[in-house]
Amino acid sequence: MSRGAPITDRVHGVPPVAVSDSDTTVNRTGSWKYIRPVYRDRVAPCNEGCPVGIDIEAYMNELREGRVDAALALLLRENPMPAVTGRVCYHPCESVCNRRNYDESVSIHAVERALGDMALEAPPAPPETPTRKERVAVIGSGPAGLACAFHLARFGYGVTVFEAAPEPGGILRLGIPEYRLPKDLLAREIARIQSLGITIKTNARVGADVPWTALDAFDAVFVGTGVHRSLSVGMESEDTPGIRPGLGFLQEVNLGGRPELGRRVVVVGGGNTAMDCARTALRLGSETLVLYRRTRAEMPATDEEVEEAQAEGVQFQFLAAPVRAKSKDGRLSGVECIRMKLGEADASGRRRPVPIPGSEFTVPADTLLGAIGEGPDFEALGADLDHDDWTLATDAFGTTTDARITAGGDIIDQPHTVAHALGAGKRAAVAIDARLRREAGETVDAPDLAALRYGRLGNVTATRWRGDDPVVRNGAVNKVVPYEELNPAHFTPVRVHPDRRLSVERSLEGFDEVNLGLTRELAMAEARRCFNCGVCNRCELCLIFCPDVAISRRPDGTGFEIDYDHCKGCGLCNAECPRGAMAMTREGL
Amino acid sequence: MKKVIVGNHAVAKGAQLARVEVISAYPITPQTQIVEELSELCADGKLAAKFIKVESEHSAMAACIGASAVGARAFTATSAQGLALMHELLHWAAGGRHPVVMADVNRAMAPGWSIWTDQNDSLSQRDTGWIQLYCETNQEVLDTTIQAFKLAETVDLPVMVILDAFFLSHTSEPVDIPEQDLVDGFLPRREARLKLDVDDPRAFGALARPDVYMEMRLRQQEAMEEARRVMVEVDAEWKQLTGRGYGPIECYRTEDAKLLLVTSGTMTSTARFVVNELRDRDEKVGLVKVKMFRPFPTDDLRRVLAGVPRVAVLDRNISPGHGGIFAEEIRSALYDLPPAERPPLHGYVLGLGGRDVTPEVIRDVVVRSLESPAASEREDLWVGVNS
Amino acid sequence: MSQVMIKDDVPKTELLTSGHLACPGCGAPLAMRLVLKALGPRTMVALPACCWSIIAGPYPQSSLKVPLYHTAFETGAALASGMKAALDIRGQSDVNVMAWAGDGGTFDIGIQALSGAAERNEDILYVCYDNEAYMNTGIQRSSSTPWGAWTTTTPVRHPENHPKKDMLAILAAHGIPYAATASVAYPTDLLAKVEKAKSIRGTKFLHILSPCPPGWKCADEDAIYLARAAVRTRVFPLMEVENGTRWRFTVEHPGDPVGPYLRKQGRFRHLTDQDVERIQADLDARWAILEQRVAYGT
Repeated sequence: MSRGAPITDRVHGVPPVAVSDSDTTVNRTGSWKYIRPVYRDRVAPCNEGCPVGIDIEAYMNELREGRVDAALALLLRENPMPAVTGRVCYHPCESVCNRRNYDESVSIHAVERALGDMALEAPPAPPETPTRKERVAVIGSGPAGLACAFHLARFGYGVTVFEAAPEPGGILRLGIPEYRLPKDLLAREIARIQSLGITIKTNARVGADVPWTALDAFDAVFVGTGVHRSLSVGMESEDTPGIRPGLGFLQEVNLGGRPELGRRVVVVGGGNTAMDCARTALRLGSETLVLYRRTRAEMPATDEEVEEAQAEGVQFQFLAAPVRAKSKDGRLSGVECIRMKLGEADASGRRRPVPIPGSEFTVPADTLLGAIGEGPDFEALGADLDHDDWTLATDAFGTTTDARITAGGDIIDQPHTVAHALGAGKRAAVAIDARLRREAGETVDAPDLAALRYGRLGNVTATRWRGDDPVVRNGAVNKVVPYEELNPAHFTPVRVHPDRRLSVERSLEGFDEVNLGLTRELAMAEARRCFNCGVCNRCELCLIFCPDVAISRRPDGTGFEIDYDHCKGCGLCNAECPRGAMAMTREGL
Repeated sequence: MKKVIVGNHAVAKGAQLARVEVISAYPITPQTQIVEELSELCADGKLAAKFIKVESEHSAMAACIGASAVGARAFTATSAQGLALMHELLHWAAGGRHPVVMADVNRAMAPGWSIWTDQNDSLSQRDTGWIQLYCETNQEVLDTTIQAFKLAETVDLPVMVILDAFFLSHTSEPVDIPEQDLVDGFLPRREARLKLDVDDPRAFGALARPDVYMEMRLRQQEAMEEARRVMVEVDAEWKQLTGRGYGPIECYRTEDAKLLLVTSGTMTSTARFVVNELRDRDEKVGLVKVKMFRPFPTDDLRRVLAGVPRVAVLDRNISPGHGGIFAEEIRSALYDLPPAERPPLHGYVLGLGGRDVTPEVIRDVVVRSLESPAASEREDLWVGVNS
Repeated sequence: MSQVMIKDDVPKTELLTSGHLACPGCGAPLAMRLVLKALGPRTMVALPACCWSIIAGPYPQSSLKVPLYHTAFETGAALASGMKAALDIRGQSDVNVMAWAGDGGTFDIGIQALSGAAERNEDILYVCYDNEAYMNTGIQRSSSTPWGAWTTTTPVRHPENHPKKDMLAILAAHGIPYAATASVAYPTDLLAKVEKAKSIRGTKFLHILSPCPPGWKCADEDAIYLARAAVRTRVFPLMEVENGTRWRFTVEHPGDPVGPYLRKQGRFRHLTDQDVERIQADLDARWAILEQRVAYGT
């Protein structure tokens, strides 16, 4: 059968019918767009809220993927003592966690504690040797000093810590009670820090046991001596036997003592120290009453501390202050108090308590513990440094008016918390590192607080200072992601598990740790509740929802590429990103 | 083997022998026996085809197109309203170059309802790009149905096999039914070159802009032109195998004719009878039967009609506002003949709505043609109507 | 798991290419992309006139990596029936045949062919991607346009006055083995339904809500939000029906108030508060009926 041209041939330049011979990629539909999506990692609010400056979001993400070692490494880069902070920190991170707007904040402290405990399970590493020739002296082995020593050792410096007390740890060892922070755990935590090659000398008070001139041999000095001078309660006959500073009482108990308190103890104050005193007194067998001159709402103590104290049976009298001691046989027998009412706000913003005339009343007491606050002892500082009544004058990184001396912790102007102390120690280490390297002839930019800190308000991260972030980021900007810029449709509600606790009955039997945290599985589950705000965790929803197949996986698995030749700029990827890790921009168009 | 069968069964037989693979069918009088017979053949396992009992003629053609696009041999049958309903898709089958074969039982278009024969239904579709083959006998119906598949699949155009309602569809005639082996040798399994194929995925029928559409239509036109030649070759091959061939046109006793009648469909048989009668009386009247209407056998008709003293075209159809369609198309085909050779052509519209075209009617046409002035009358004469 | 991590449940093969001609933010290419991921490359598509006729690309392009036949508006299901018959007779019964039509080509002009194919229980998957109007021709109403909506043929003074046709019930009434609704905002639900359909012999109907920014008068980036809100508000519940009798909801429908869903779309801007209340009331009444269907069957 003879035929003409085979049907599949082109004749007059066309096939016989409109049959395709190419795909549509030749159409550069990317020219349609007037805005374009970019991956732009931002900062999770917990990172900004953490006074230590930990990349919480990053370690939560590692845990979600089951990478525990990586999570631990990220945590230990910034926080030398997570087993401690997971127990005693007041977790401001949780107060700003975006998830609180969805169902409940992630229980970050429980996860940190679990990680910290895991880190302690590993045997301590053999001590490292310094890689740099410079030596730094750290005065005080509280959280500020230990943090500064920790980061300096990681930067390669040889560090010697001078501690006045017989045991290292500062307020952690001597102030916070055993039932909140077991001392053997603290000792193991400090041992792990020491394994970086840090020398800690105890019973070595600088200015007494060790002369100040001995510090001239060091290239830099960090002062983290804290505040130990208990403030006077301000009542008459405060020198009556039976009235003593609360901090001194706690120190005695923490060093093994079991002082005789008598049947009834009164604690004056509203902070954590007051709660520590009260609950310790209970465990020593006394009935305890806390007097606080304002109301429950104004108490500076953390909610958990107050609730646990109440649960354990500590009595409270709010809007009450002691006026004078009543004694019998030369010892305290009672406290005459006066009722207060709240007047105008004072400098701190809280309403000033005003005594109500004629409202005096007396409570019986065998011991009164003063816990209204502590002040610094500048006399012990050999150096001539600018200071006011309460704090040394320092710049943002802790450098004092003597360029060789930096300071941190309760002795500088910041809230008196363990977390803030850890954060200050880190900032000082960065400042010391910058100065010493510059003096050694290296080209080093002055540390830029805005660039090194998380968001506008967070603490600096050593990782940014060192520039060795193991987390791959996309176009990172130092801005915090608010909840409104997340897409909560891609999450499901999951309740928080509360920390396990000893029963009140069991707690009061002694000084065993009361809060047992979460089981390891529940802690890992809790980490999975983290939204991973602001940082791409490769959930691929952008890729899945792109109508133009314009998003592809990078072969190395570190993220995604956008094909701008075909991306039409619809913005679906950005709208659906659960964690606000993208942005739409006119840049580049 | 000879059997006496009605035209509809001849169609069915042809489709069966051609081993159609997909049949989609919707019933309409007078086509129904085609689909009934095919349905039985499939049910009895005598025909290994998929039978889709579609819910309308439009879907029938859509299903054929779909099947054909995948590369199968597809078939359907219809009539009048059903054919009209398919109109959109007739364009699609032809423009899509699908070798679908369809039997159309010529039936008059409504309103008023009519189940009887005329040619308006098929001729209304003459611009859709289908090859149109008009049959005179049930034998021709069977032979043409089988040939249609070969023709269609050679030029990749759809073919309409056309038979008169009742006069063929429901009338029994002796038909020589070829053996399956013979047909298999003549018509192998379809091997489509361009088809939907998961191993070579392409899109068919996408937006064709002005810069390519014309060329595709030109290719379609060129395929139609090739079909003239292929139809003849297929017919010749069939004649060799069976002794029966038809050609695009047939000249019957046309030598020295003073008048040639031009007919199509069953009235051709009646016309033969009258021609024989006249020739017996030494009246030199002859007959040209047109089988293939699309592609139009222009050269053949010019050849046989040039210089003929008079031509009478009998149209069992009307294009309202113009004339009988065969007549118009033949006039147009003859236009380019040198004026001296252009025959005077009289057009006659008759037999609409199944009105019988009897020998009396044809005699009447002959008389009128011979008695009218030499010049052609442009107005077609309607024959057999009440005045 | 608190985060919706679905990446491992979404097949990675892409059978849609970039550079197709859908509007920015259109739900229709996303619907096709997802359905084809589940169907795989041994699939043929019957494509009647609709937006996808353009999205597929003009000659000589195709944005699909599977064979595709552009067909006349009303013929999707009929063409697919023919394709399937041919594949069966040629020994390629494993190839999926999918008719892919818009709401116009399904609810209106295409309903005859669809009903015919469904009644015959043709072994095809019929997917209607529904943008609730004749969008390809410039936003004219269809019988899928919801009550109250503006379109060019239901202008603001005479907005759409009829409720949306209940296609799922219509298909269920045909007794086909499987009929379901799906939304591009619920990819794993959609994929699971296609997987299920793929394994069934007979007619399978899938009705996918496909938001249209130009036609719904919303922002380009709102398609997924709206496709999700439509489900959450119960405007477009995600269900499946087996053999026309067993009805089931396939996701949670919290019953969010319908107001915010409507107000995010310019096509509803003219609605009064009373209109919104009426829509809410109608929605609640219809939900009660659906719950009856799920509880008692049909």
